[in-house]
Amino acid sequence: MQRAIEKAGVPTICITALPPVSRQNGTPRAAAPLVPMGANAGAPHDIAMQRGITIDSLKLIETIETPGKIVPLPYEYHAQI
Amino acid sequence: MSLTVVKGLQSEIFVPVTPPSVFTKPTKPMNEWIVGLATAAGVHRKDQERFNLAGDFTWRKIPKDTPTDMLMVSHGGYDNSDVNKDVNCMFPIDRIHELAAEGVIGGEAENHAGFMGGGGNIEKFTNETGPAIAEMFKEEGVDAVLVTAG
Repeated sequence: MQRAIEKAGVPTICITALPPVSRQNGTPRAAAPLVPMGANAGAPHDIAMQRGITIDSLKLIETIETPGKIVPLPYEYHAQI
Repeated sequence: MSLTVVKGLQSEIFVPVTPPSVFTKPTKPMNEWIVGLATAAGVHRKDQERFNLAGDFTWRKIPKDTPTDMLMVSHGGYDNSDVNKDVNCMFPIDRIHELAAEGVIGGEAENHAGFMGGGGNIEKFTNETGPAIAEMFKEEGVDAVLVTAG
């Protein structure tokens, strides 16, 4: 999906909980906070974390120079299951 | 001299094949971007058809003014409990509203996109669903797309 959008000429960033999978699928750019699959953009109702992940991920569209780069983001959330 | 000494010899080591890279750079600063959201988390409006949990390559157009209590998730491939509590976990639409209002980004796409990732008909995703979503963003003049997947 990300590749299709990028191919159409629109830059993208993927927030991923599974960086190796994103790498294997050929992500153009990805942000990897320490989150479980299902809360990629941050913990439920944690507005500060969601906001931080959203802004920092968008900023990576400007700063990543190399195709395929995945940058860890300093946010951590463990789901209590 | 041929480099092949034994015909048909293959590596015993698994070598992953990644597709060739695609990469588009932004043309404007972030505070001028119209930002779209695309999520593989199976997000859609409650009045739209649910995804088929056994595999579904279709997608749903989500208008930007859709309130979060009108959104739901149908996806059988991950634990939905967080996203059921707060859809912004996978589809940070409220955060995008805030960033657009504050001028951190230039604005928000008229429509966002929801689909059900995690497998399914990859050929259809690659050749039909992906290009269709890309075309919608392109037509709406979107400058950057935030994807949540994986």
